Amino acid sequence: MKHKVTIFSLLLLLILACREPFEPDIEPSDQNVLVVEGYLDSDGSPSILKLSFTSELDGPIQDNSGLLGASIFLESSSGNQFPLTEIGQGEYLHETDIPEVDTYRLRIFLRNGNSYTSEELRPIITPDIIDAGFVKNETGVEIFITTQGDENADNFLWTYEEAWAFRPAISSPFKYDPDVQDVVIRGDEERNDICYKVSPNSDLLLETSSRFEDQFVFRQSISQIEQGDEKLSVRYSILISQKALSEEDSEFWEILKKNTDDLGSIFSPLPSLIGGNISFDQDPSAPVIGQVSLGKVRQKRLFIDNREVIPWGLEEIPEYVGCFISQDTVFIESYPTKLQSGIILPVRPIIPEGGFNPIGYLTAPVNCVDCTRRGSNVPPEFWED
Amino acid sequence: MRKLFLLLFLNFFGFAAFAQSGGERISGLFAQMNFERFANTVENQTSYEFHFRQKDVADVRVNLQLSDASLPNALDEIFSGTNLKYTIDGELGVWISSESRMQMNFSPQFFEIKERSDDETSIVDSVDRFARNKLYTIGRSTDDPEKSSATISGIVTSIENGEPMEGAIVLERVNYNQMVTGPDGYYELTLPKGRHTLVVQNIGGFQEQRQINLLGDGKLNMRIAETVLSLDEVVVSSGALSNIQKLDMGVQAISIDEVKRLPAVLGEVDLVRGILTTPGVNTVGEASVGFNVRGGAADQNLILYNQSTVFNPSHVFGFFSAFNADLTSGVELYKGSIPVNYGGRLSSVLQIDADFGNEEKFSGSGGIGLLTGRLSLEGPISENTTFKIGGRATYSDWVLNLLEDETDLNGSDVSFYDLNANIRHEIDEKNILEFTGYLSQDDFSFDPDTTFNYRNFNVAGTWRHFFNDQLEGSFTFGYDSYEFGIIGIENPLNSFDFSFEVEQFHLRSDFEYRKNENHIFKFGFHAIQYDLDPGTIQPFGPESILIEQDLERERAREFSIYFGDEFTINEELSISYGGRYMFYNMYGQQTINEYVPGAPITDSNVIGERSFGSGESVKTYHGPEFRVSARYILDNQSSLKAGFNTNRQNLHLLTNTSAIAPTDSWKLSDTYIKPQTGGQASLGYYRNLARGQVEFSAEVYYRYMRNLLDFRSGATLILNENIEQDVLNSDGRAYGIEFLLKKNVGDLRGSLAYTFSRSFLKTSDDPSIEKVNNGEFYPSNYDQPHNVVLALNYELSKRINTTLNTNYSTGRPVTLPISKFEYAGSERVFFSERNAYRIPDYFRIDFSVNLEGNHKVNKVAHASWSFGVYNLLGRSNPYSVYYTPIEGEIKGFQLSIFARPIPFITYNFRF
Repeated sequence: MKHKVTIFSLLLLLILACREPFEPDIEPSDQNVLVVEGYLDSDGSPSILKLSFTSELDGPIQDNSGLLGASIFLESSSGNQFPLTEIGQGEYLHETDIPEVDTYRLRIFLRNGNSYTSEELRPIITPDIIDAGFVKNETGVEIFITTQGDENADNFLWTYEEAWAFRPAISSPFKYDPDVQDVVIRGDEERNDICYKVSPNSDLLLETSSRFEDQFVFRQSISQIEQGDEKLSVRYSILISQKALSEEDSEFWEILKKNTDDLGSIFSPLPSLIGGNISFDQDPSAPVIGQVSLGKVRQKRLFIDNREVIPWGLEEIPEYVGCFISQDTVFIESYPTKLQSGIILPVRPIIPEGGFNPIGYLTAPVNCVDCTRRGSNVPPEFWED
Repeated sequence: MRKLFLLLFLNFFGFAAFAQSGGERISGLFAQMNFERFANTVENQTSYEFHFRQKDVADVRVNLQLSDASLPNALDEIFSGTNLKYTIDGELGVWISSESRMQMNFSPQFFEIKERSDDETSIVDSVDRFARNKLYTIGRSTDDPEKSSATISGIVTSIENGEPMEGAIVLERVNYNQMVTGPDGYYELTLPKGRHTLVVQNIGGFQEQRQINLLGDGKLNMRIAETVLSLDEVVVSSGALSNIQKLDMGVQAISIDEVKRLPAVLGEVDLVRGILTTPGVNTVGEASVGFNVRGGAADQNLILYNQSTVFNPSHVFGFFSAFNADLTSGVELYKGSIPVNYGGRLSSVLQIDADFGNEEKFSGSGGIGLLTGRLSLEGPISENTTFKIGGRATYSDWVLNLLEDETDLNGSDVSFYDLNANIRHEIDEKNILEFTGYLSQDDFSFDPDTTFNYRNFNVAGTWRHFFNDQLEGSFTFGYDSYEFGIIGIENPLNSFDFSFEVEQFHLRSDFEYRKNENHIFKFGFHAIQYDLDPGTIQPFGPESILIEQDLERERAREFSIYFGDEFTINEELSISYGGRYMFYNMYGQQTINEYVPGAPITDSNVIGERSFGSGESVKTYHGPEFRVSARYILDNQSSLKAGFNTNRQNLHLLTNTSAIAPTDSWKLSDTYIKPQTGGQASLGYYRNLARGQVEFSAEVYYRYMRNLLDFRSGATLILNENIEQDVLNSDGRAYGIEFLLKKNVGDLRGSLAYTFSRSFLKTSDDPSIEKVNNGEFYPSNYDQPHNVVLALNYELSKRINTTLNTNYSTGRPVTLPISKFEYAGSERVFFSERNAYRIPDYFRIDFSVNLEGNHKVNKVAHASWSFGVYNLLGRSNPYSVYYTPIEGEIKGFQLSIFARPIPFITYNFRF
């Protein structure tokens, strides 16, 4: 409901309001605030803890070399230590099955001697996703999830990653082979008429199950795909991650979300100070950003095929504006000069009446034909057709 | 008739010219002086030249203290009780003769002749001509024969419409005892017994006089003519001193006419925007419901429509004022010394006076603007009863529809209306009943899925009783409520209906007792019964599976008694002192958490719960409030004032947005949320310049505030059962200096106000989960150090009136992102300390023109047009700034609400 207020006020602003870029002079400030991110899996599935530093707003991302070679471990209340292994770029891998009845602290020792300790962490076992599905409505397709909270898991965070197959504006099985100086049929591994794109999404969806009867979160909306979106032009997949959060975790994510989505519209709240559950041992008043959680992530993958949502009515794709097949035939003798560069690709053979071999090809610009310009022609590992 | 009218007209022109040749004003003490010396003194001071026969004036003794008085006034006094007459000619010759006036023939200056006993000219009808010369005997000589003085009181009403005349000056001519009538037209003067001449001056109208013979206490009601023409005020010199003489400080009164002349957004006359032209008042932005007075939060203003508390004084989220200007007669803002008869808020009292109906005839007025239409009707119901009702409503969404193509506002809908009904019944001359009713309703939806609505509802009845000439009492009983609701139907399974409501019953009795010339006692009793529903959310529609959540209602009672005395010690020094004692009690049913004593109030420190039965006392707070102020007159033209007062407030607005939103709910003080308290000390210097045409004032103040509410990071304000866990108890302090230069007469009028002020907050030293900015003082959201407002009004002719309004203020503080980091797949921002930066400064110029129709008396309806441009320069004044990731990169934006010149036009009529 809070979001509704924001949406409302944004809409209100559209009436008479005006939006302009704002670039204030920000005093250079201490940029060495450590950022810790991770939801560590308690039953041994690989999970990643990521360290970074804050950087200037308009500057480049901070050099994180100071984060190399940190020593990080989880320490149980009984004194056992479970180290994380460094995998580079500030990332550390955790894949130990830890007893879920115990409580833990995350300890971080940087090479420069600074050390950080988390508050006490208690693993939260995320309940299973009961159902994930989709429904077609007037504006497109809504993807939803159904789950149920329990006494340990009341607050939920959902994130998702999308993947979809798509086609170019103009499909062509042909390519120009400079070795034989002729147009040939593409091999399977060279296909450029169907591609895949994987796109992580940074939306944060938070909900408290105790708002609902029996903590039953029924058909919680995760994502909406607008009618005609290319994502559903062929086949679409979404991986929904469900994480149960403690009360404090939930507050942190709420602030993070608010501070990102909700700034400066008429009635939006004042920005909140973001902190987390990590503190700097050498100076407990210094800021550290990050809320580390322990638990079990539940995931569900969903596939939606274009056939399930027809009529879909594909919207025009900006990259494909102005894509059409050139009416000028490129004849065999000019293949090397016209097709060598790869700016245009052969798409339709011109076969004379009674003949068998093409005397030339109609062409189209490469960005209209080659889908690998916008994705990969190799389906991702999880892809099912 | 026509001739009379012409005469009238000329007379007034002459009179106005006379008032403006006001270089000829006299000051000084003339004690037991013979007339010749007096004449010499005056001749030295002015360019008047006296012509008289020695023997005529031999017996005349001048015994006067004059401050900036006009010569005719002085001569009227001097010659009262003699048979001497005077005439002043165009060359400023003063001709004194006995028995009959010297005729100067029909020179152009003829109409400047000013006479004491007007038996020759007839400027009003014969009834009143008779009234002017008749000797009224007041009281009986058998009443208190030992007393040398007596009190005359009464009501001044208008001949044209029978309504009480507010702001008329009743002046006695010997000692210049005077009083300005209140909204009820009431005046009261205590005078030595004997013959007097009372002069009644209605601003912009005729001067009237009555001869009285005061034998004892008594009443004299006077009906005086208002004018058809809108004329310059005739400045009664002693009246212009009122800013210097009055005891109050930090009071801004604005007439509805002044407000109506100001350029307004889409032409909707806005009382709150009128208040914003005065020093010490600012707002965080254009679309904000509230205003901030002297560094206080917006919920610290008590907004009274007559006796009713209005919780949300705006329409459409703060774009327009919720008060219909046709149903109000004046606005007063008390920001310095809050009178002892008001209490319950920390910063200020905005008193909006209701307008009551015309006693003589039915009439009406209305207008059509871009957004709304309004209509009001008034008149007598019976001999002693009058009514005035009015309404205003949006009649079309065309402004929105116009913009719908450009924006995605499908299904948007804005509508609002407000209704007022005021009835006044005069039982007899000692008992008056007044009833006021007010209803405002707003409904919006900006997308088809969510509907917002809010509503103010107020009714109050007042019985005013004049016990005797000294004691006046009024008794009010009323009901105020404010509610808002949000209905969301985006997802049928999740559809909700949220509602909030605050209600209060109030009972007040106020007494004013004038003991003698030196004391005015005010005392009374106020009781408020609060009943507040902090929020209920219900499933909406048959499919919704949302669980109903209903926060426990909060109930409390508040009693205050007060006593105050305005004590005139001598002519120079007056003091006002008094106090209130407030008793507040929250009672059950209520369940409250118990926390570890001395530890921060957090969820983890909950050690139990305590339930209170119905009516059982939950928490009691009580304490005094002090009101002290003093005025010392330095000389005729200037005075010094000082004041100190303290206040308590039990009702708090829960808001963590920079502007008040209609979805902000109110909260009563409870076990953990203590009453806000505060005090203010102020000192002011007042001076009249240019012979009273220009008023200057400077006031400095310092305020402290305790138990203010701030909120910790991530606080949830809606449907929070444990709101005390999210509140940060804060202290505040504010200080500032305000300068005001105001010219009230002439064709060019206006005011220039400059304010320098600061306002700071700090998380209090109590244990708390979070200390904003490490427990240091930080600027509050409405800390805008420099504020300049220039309002200029130029009267091109009697029918064309133009107003230019210029507004500058420092940008308000904001908390800005200072660095970025990656988290959960996106760039996120890290914020600076609270309010460490400011948005760009605010600057705006508005312009408006008011066109009056012609002034034929017999027209069926009088019409006028207002048009103008809001934000003439089209400057995009940022309302706020925000940052948002655009394609993964964080960009800053500033938002302006009225970023273009907004023209408006309104047609007004009255009949």
